[in-house]
Amino acid sequence: MSKTIKVLLVDDHPMVRDGIMSCLAFYDDVEVIGTAKNGIEAIALIPTLAPNVIMMDISMPELNGIDATEQILEISPHSKILIFSMHDNAEYITNAVQAGASGYILKNTDAEEVYQAIIQVAQGHQYFGENIAKILLTKHTSNTTARLTTREQTVLSFLAQGLSSKQIAEQTGISVRTVDAHRRNIKAKLQLDTVAEMIRYAVEHGLVSR
Amino acid sequence: MFSFRYIWLIIVQVAVTAVFTYILVTQQYRDLSEQNLASLETFLIEQKQRELRNYTSLAVTAIDDVYYGNVLSEPEAKAHAAQTFTRMLYDGIDGYFFTYDQFGTNIVLPHQPERIGKNFWELTDPDGGKTIQILIDLAQNGGGFHFYKWSQPSTEVITDKLSYATYLDKWNWMVGTGVYLDDVYAQLNKIQGEIDDQVQNTRLIILAVAITSIMLILFVAVSISVTQKQENEAKVSALGQKIITSQEDERRHIARELHDGIIQMLVSIKYSLSATKMSLRHALTEEPHSLTAASAGLDLTIDEVRRISHHLHPQILDELGLSAAIDALAEEFSKRTHIAVTVNKLQVKKLLSPQLNTTLYRTVQECLTNVEKHAQASHVDIKLEMAQNWLALKIHDNGKGFDYSDTEKFGIGLNNLQERVDYYQGKIAIHSNNEGTRIEIKIPLSSFAKNFATIDQHTDEPHTMGKPS
Repeated sequence: MSKTIKVLLVDDHPMVRDGIMSCLAFYDDVEVIGTAKNGIEAIALIPTLAPNVIMMDISMPELNGIDATEQILEISPHSKILIFSMHDNAEYITNAVQAGASGYILKNTDAEEVYQAIIQVAQGHQYFGENIAKILLTKHTSNTTARLTTREQTVLSFLAQGLSSKQIAEQTGISVRTVDAHRRNIKAKLQLDTVAEMIRYAVEHGLVSR
Repeated sequence: MFSFRYIWLIIVQVAVTAVFTYILVTQQYRDLSEQNLASLETFLIEQKQRELRNYTSLAVTAIDDVYYGNVLSEPEAKAHAAQTFTRMLYDGIDGYFFTYDQFGTNIVLPHQPERIGKNFWELTDPDGGKTIQILIDLAQNGGGFHFYKWSQPSTEVITDKLSYATYLDKWNWMVGTGVYLDDVYAQLNKIQGEIDDQVQNTRLIILAVAITSIMLILFVAVSISVTQKQENEAKVSALGQKIITSQEDERRHIARELHDGIIQMLVSIKYSLSATKMSLRHALTEEPHSLTAASAGLDLTIDEVRRISHHLHPQILDELGLSAAIDALAEEFSKRTHIAVTVNKLQVKKLLSPQLNTTLYRTVQECLTNVEKHAQASHVDIKLEMAQNWLALKIHDNGKGFDYSDTEKFGIGLNNLQERVDYYQGKIAIHSNNEGTRIEIKIPLSSFAKNFATIDQHTDEPHTMGKPS
């Protein structure tokens, strides 16, 4: 590994950040180039830092790691995100995968494995810890993939309020193209054909008020 | 606080007032009526007296010719006069003239000719008066009225009679006529009857008013107490909900402190130990046993604190929503009990407020606990559905069912559940038989609509929980 892998560490707890950094310091080909304490900070830092791998906690104030993952991939689709969480629950894992995370390891993973995960993800592979892979295998993901992501739900809600793709793009700070992609996904997941059906769905589910 | 004790007091008061009013009104009415009756009687009697005096004067005038004339001899004149008197009838047959001489011998009595010539000086009426003596005495003293009893010709019944008698001095005759007072008394009795009817009517009116008042008071009292009861129940329910909410908030707060505070610190310690291990390895020093033990102990500690935190309040509920939390719960449950659980989720998430989320989550928890303890089921089916503006949570098991009047087993949890669901204007239906139990909870869309729009979208605030307040 000739090139140093640049890592952005996103975790709201300073002691945890320090702990990880002190362990990763032992590896020459990995460098933590920046830290953020929530998803919003991370999104702001990505354009300037251009990290190879984003190590992301899930439970954080302001914007959690799963929703942040989804939003980072909207603006920077080739970002490699390694989820790094205390949660070993299948729902968290499938939600993270659905949001587009490249890997998922638990916080009590040994430093050596953390290093391996970073390397794998940086190379464009997926990496799931041994326990995580086991959970993913037992879990039927077919059902969960049909669920809307937070961003898709937000777009649907704006749509039901009568906003155009352009207006939604302005509201959320993403491109019109991305909004349209979300709209296609929503239609596919909910098996709806028209905007009218989408609006009705949103109203019926209380995503907007009547 | 409204009390029925006061109602009884008011009712007693109304009853007492009614009785007093009745006594007072009837008494006054009777007094007044009797006065009127007495004056009416006096008036009628006086009228009769005037009539009698006039009739007598007419009769006496009718024999003026023979009485004062010189054409006939005295016996002839007397016979003529007697005949005249006998023929003078009025008011049918009850009005007639009678004549006696000064010794009480009858001279004229139209309907009882057999009495003519007989002496009635000693005749005594049922009241003890010597009728003829008194009449003769009154007549000799310038004429007068007398009440006595006499057989009425039309009915042949002994009846009260009022007579006037005057005296023919020349012949020593007492001439008189009288009226039977039955019609006067009948008239007075009729009026008395009318008065009694009036009193009876008054009594009925007072009774009706009193009963209506009492009914009205009772009705008002009952409706007030029903309203108060409902208000109290609503207050108790709101209070109960408040207690539950604050309990849940507290649990959530502690869980978060553990998860985001203590556990993170423990994790950072774990990385410090990891770093220590790595620097030992770099220095080619063997890892001391105590370090390995510390690391293992730390793992156990982290797991334990996580377990406690999760037990207090699952963070997944706030971060990923109800469906995900139920799914996780179902998985833990299956792992522990080996009872299969299928979960049908909605395609959308974060629809509900944290409180409602917690309520439904606890419901599922409660139901699963019951299934584990009592149902002997092999399968549980949990569905979250959205239909016709209601969010439905359906929990079906294929166990042996339970008797839901058996509060020992389910009651407390069920009542609690009912209260929680009521708070959100929701409905709860439970069907249980030997083929299983179906619990369905429905929450109206109005109780959570726009939650996603307001909480998630504009602030982009994924942690639906607020800062501990």
